[in-house]
Parts: sequence; structure tokens; C-alpha cells
Amino acid sequence: MDSSVAAEPNIRVVKNATCTFCGCVCDDMELTVDLDQKRITKAKNACVLGKAWFAEHSVDESRPVAMIEGKEVSLDEAIDEAAKILVNARFPVIYGMSNSTSEAQRETVKMADLLSANVDSTSSVCHGPTGMGLQGVGEPTTTLGEVKNRADMIVYWGCNPSDCHPRLSTHYAVNPKGMYIPNGRKDRTVINVDVRSTTTTNIADVFVQVKPGSDFELLWGLRILVRGGKLNPAFEEQTGVPIDVIENLASRLMSCNYGILFFGMGLTMTRGRHYNASALHMLATDLNEHTHFVVKPARGHGNVTGADTVMSWQTGYPFGINFNRGYPRHEPGEFTTTDIMCRGEADAACIIASDPMANFAKPAIDHMKKIPMISFDPKPTPTSQAARVAFTTACYGINTPGTVYRMDDIPIPLRPAFESPFPSDLDILKPLVKRIRELKRAQY
Amino acid sequence: MKLTVHTPPEVPLEAEILSPTSLAGLSEAEVSALIVHHGNRKEALGEFFSVNGKMNGRLELEGDLSFVKLIGQGMADGEMFIEGNVSGHLGCGMSGGRIVLNGDAQDWVGEDMTGGSITINGNAGHMVGSGVRGAEQGMLGGEIFVRGNCKNEAGGAMRRGLVAIGGNSGDFTGLNMVAGTVIVLGEMGIRTGSNMKRGSVISMNPARMIPSFSYSCTYQPIFLRFYLNYLRDVGFEIDDAWLNGSYQRWCGDAISLNKGEVLLYQS
Ligand code: SF4
Repeated sequence: MDSSVAAEPNIRVVKNATCTFCGCVCDDMELTVDLDQKRITKAKNACVLGKAWFAEHSVDESRPVAMIEGKEVSLDEAIDEAAKILVNARFPVIYGMSNSTSEAQRETVKMADLLSANVDSTSSVCHGPTGMGLQGVGEPTTTLGEVKNRADMIVYWGCNPSDCHPRLSTHYAVNPKGMYIPNGRKDRTVINVDVRSTTTTNIADVFVQVKPGSDFELLWGLRILVRGGKLNPAFEEQTGVPIDVIENLASRLMSCNYGILFFGMGLTMTRGRHYNASALHMLATDLNEHTHFVVKPARGHGNVTGADTVMSWQTGYPFGINFNRGYPRHEPGEFTTTDIMCRGEADAACIIASDPMANFAKPAIDHMKKIPMISFDPKPTPTSQAARVAFTTACYGINTPGTVYRMDDIPIPLRPAFESPFPSDLDILKPLVKRIRELKRAQY
Repeated sequence: MKLTVHTPPEVPLEAEILSPTSLAGLSEAEVSALIVHHGNRKEALGEFFSVNGKMNGRLELEGDLSFVKLIGQGMADGEMFIEGNVSGHLGCGMSGGRIVLNGDAQDWVGEDMTGGSITINGNAGHMVGSGVRGAEQGMLGGEIFVRGNCKNEAGGAMRRGLVAIGGNSGDFTGLNMVAGTVIVLGEMGIRTGSNMKRGSVISMNPARMIPSFSYSCTYQPIFLRFYLNYLRDVGFEIDDAWLNGSYQRWCGDAISLNKGEVLLYQS
């Protein structure tokens, strides 16, 4: 397909561009780009979040491409310094990657392997528990295309896609007509389970309000019903949901043709964490005795799914991976970055397209202030300001091509809108890996 | 033999060779030359520890061990006395012998152990006596005594053995348990015994049960007296009232086999 058509001088229209703001990774954007101003003036088909993501993106050419201790240096000098920091470290931690292309993620894993480092993505602070949950019980999975064409039962549990993934409903899961869903929205039932009503509640046919911190008990209750058991009154006391509502919910779930459970951090980041995610996966497994049911985490940042996927096929594990002994080991809690930093174990860090200094716990941030850090970010952030070596990068999807994984593990190519004067993550990682290799060779 | 930390490791030190079983028959010089993993570097044990005495089945460790992981891994015999806080995986996969720790331990104490005993005169982290993630069975035998508190998932997927916690335990105590006994003298967090098949979880305090557990009766379990007297013998403070007291018996988890029990001291 023709991806760039010159409409007027210095205006470029990019068809079928990809939005990388959220895990929906919509690939039907039509971007109008003002090449003089290096700005996207219009983003057709994008949702409010996508429009803001494209509109806000401008390139600040006055920023240096690389800095050491806040002073401008050449890219080569910075790469050399970064390589030295990482090679000299005994417990280097590489973290982030969720806002980067899968090509860059692959290079990052290579770098971690070469350095015998610890490598982890932002999954460990959002949907990491999902990965742990499904390791224990298995994952009944699907793609969004299948959901669009088949799902007549959509459950949003502890997530608010209307605000966080606006096109999940309109483009994939609820509104569109599909092969076996000829009437679109009319043929589907939407159920929302949450601790309070959200904008997603407005599009739901059924809203079930559960007491905060008792999702696990409600899931357990549903499992008992799906397995043919009966509920005692304690379920109502603990979850705040009347028994007849739980029974009605269970019978709806069992009687659909094709159901999907979307869930968010309302499950994975509340008390019980990975075990809440396990319980949901187990419910889907139980429901498969009656009908077809699948589970999908509604994942946030653009390519966090890619980070899990790339690390899984390169190391066998999705996040929290340690190469200290030359082979990959995985242990959430032990090799996840916030835990490592809280215990003060790392002696260097390389943060790729992420801002842990803004969202980690205080003890972790305090430790990160003490160790040399390298940061890759298109914009100044608390992390890039605290870093010894800071690289300014081009924004993936807007300025650089590559591959991004949608929340259903489908790889989608990017079509950049305009060029940036800054290098991409991959453009820096490649020479960095080369330099690390040279230094390592010199060591032995 | 006594090993004293002279230079605390700056990053995690993986020292699975620190056990009477691995050091048996070695001289001071040989022990100092053993290889440990300091982050991503291999270094000699002597870089961190000074080694004194002969190895005669008894190993003493002392100093800042807070970054030292995997102490006592696969230990099969002998005794180990540790002064100071240790990092994760203490006594993992151990099959015999005795570890006494005067200090705190981090996560995964006695993970996958099959025999022997671990006593912690301090607090422990998550996953005391648990199986590795995704495993159907965890601890297959042996005893773990924690004087202080522990965090979540104590006794996860355990199949045999005893875990006793003198203080409080976190959430999901006895999660996925197949058999075995967990005794918590303090309070337990929520969701005790979820998905348990068989086994006993016992606490001296009231607990909120998941609704998939059903109350069966209140009685005086005779077997518990033996357990509590045994715990008293090994140094736990046992209230006389507990020995002859009545306990509520809850069965569950209904979602699983429903043959597990949770006993809660009533009066
Ligand atoms: S739903 Fe997500 S990926 Fe799609 S346009 Fe909106 S922000 Fe972009």
C-alpha cells in the first residue's frame, strides 16, 4: 500500500500509520504532517489519547544528543562512557523498554546477555503478576481479530478501557460488526466488574460493583458456581455482591458462545496481585467446560507486550531475568528492578525509554541516585536528569520505523511520520553493544 | 570451621557452597579458594570471608551476610550456625542437617526442601517453605521454625513437613497446599489455604476465611497437643491454654479437593 503521498509541498500524508500510545496499537491512522515545522497537524481515526500523543510530539532540536553529567558531549564519547560504566559494573540492571521497538528490545537482551546483567521491563510494575499467574495455570488466549469476529460476551474486569484504551471497545471488542457478530454491539453483552463505576460502566449492559480488595473472593465464587457448586452467604458479606447477582453473572458467562475476560491493574496491582490474575485464568479454564472463554490483559504502554514477547523468545522468561551466571534465570521479587533497587543491590543501571525515578518507591529512587545511570529518552525526565549518561532519542513510531506488539501479541509494523535529528534507541544500542564487546575482549 | 566476613560484598553474592556438606573434608586454604559468584564475576570465597578452624560437621558464619544468597543450598548433613541477616534462598533444596540463623532471612527460606531443619531467630520474607513458581509441589519434608514474622505464601504447595511461625504470617498462608502442617502462633493475613487440597493450617488467632471454606465444628484436637509440646521443646512460647483449648475447624478449599483443614484457636 502507498504509505506516503505528497498532498502539498511540505505537507505529507501518512496512511496506515501506527499509534503506539497504548496497547491497542491502532494501525489505521492517517497522519497529516507539516514537514517544515516537524509536527503532526492532524491524526485521522485516532482517539483522544492518540490525537494528543501525535499533536504533542515536537522535536526540540536544541537538546544535545548526548550528555555526560549534564554537559553536552558527542554521541561517541557518551557511548564510550556508557559502555565503560556497564562493563565495570558487577550487577548492572537494564530496565524499561516498554516504549521502544522490538528491534531495540532484541538488542537490549543481547546487551544484557553480553554483560551478564539483570534485565527487566516495566511489566514488573504493571502486568508482571499476570505473567506469574499464567505460569501457574496456563493461558487461554486469543487475538483481537478473533474477538471482533466471534466474541458475544465481553467482560472488563478491573480495567477502564473507555479512558485508557479508548478504541479497544470501538475498534475491536464491542462496537464493530464481525463475521459471526453481524449486528455488532447489539449481538454482544458487555459486563463491567470494578470497585467503582467508571466511564466504561456507561457502555456496559451489566455493572457489578465489588468491594475493594475482594476481586479474588468474587472470582472464587464464580468458579464454584461454574463448577456446579453453591455459594454460602459469606460470599455476599465479603464481596458486597448479592448472591443472586453472582449467580446471574455465572449463568451469563456460561451461556455465551464466545467470551473474553479483559482485565487491568485493578486485579494485578491490588492485594493478591499474581494470585488474582491466576484466579481469573482459572475461571476462564473452568468456563471452557461450558463454552469458549479466553483472557486478555488490557496492557498499557505501547510496546510492553513486545518486551515480554521478545524476552520470552530470547531467554524463556517474560521479565525479571538475571544473566549473572551466564544463563537466564527468572524470579519475580528477586530479579525485578524495583525490588533490586529497594534492597540496594545494583551498582549501575541502564534505563531505556522509561522513567523509574518518577514512579518507583522512595528507597529504590534513593538507591538509584547513588549509582551511575544511563538513560535513553526522547524528552527530559527525572530519570534522564539523574543519569550520568543521557541520550536523547527519536520517538518510536513517530520518527523511527520498527515493530511493535499489540496487546494480543500481534506484531505490527510502524510507519514513521517524519525524521528526527536524534538517533533511535536501536541506533545507539548497536554501537553500544559493539563497544561493550570490544571492552570485554580487552579485559580477558 | 568458622567463616567471618571481612569484606562485605557490594552486590549480591551467590554462595551455594556455604554448607557443611559442600565444605566437608576441605582445609582452610581450600575453602578460601572456592569460587563464589559476586554479581557477574567469579571470585574466591577468601576475598570476602576469613576462614578459621577445621571442618568437623559444624560450620559457623558471622558478619554482614545481608547480600549473601543461597546459603546452605542442598545441604544434606551437619550443622550450620549463622550470626547476622542473610539474603534469599536460605537452605533451599536442603535434605538434612540443621541451620540456625540468629537474624533475619529474606524470601524463599527452605524452598523445595526435603529434609533437615531450619530455625530462624528473627523474621523471614515471602515464600517460606514454598515450591518454585508453577511447581505442583513445594516442600517435601523437614522443619522450618521462624521465631518472628514471615510474609506471604508460607508453606505454598507444601507436600510434607512442618512450618512453624512464632509471629504473624502474611496473606495466602498454605496456598495450594497438598499436605503437611503450617502453624502460625500469631495472626495470619487473608486468603489462608486458598486452593489447598489437603494439609493443616493452624493459628492461635481468629482469621478471616475465604468463603469457599466451610465451618465444620469446634473441637479439641489431640494431635495438636503433641505439635505444641514439640514446639515448646524447640523453644517457642506456648500458652498452656492452647494445649487444651477448643479450635474451630474449617474445611476447604471447596474449589479444590476440599480435604484441607484450617484450625483456629477459639478458647
Ligand atoms: S486506542 Fe490507543 S493505540 Fe488506538 S489511537 Fe487511541 S491511544 Fe492510540
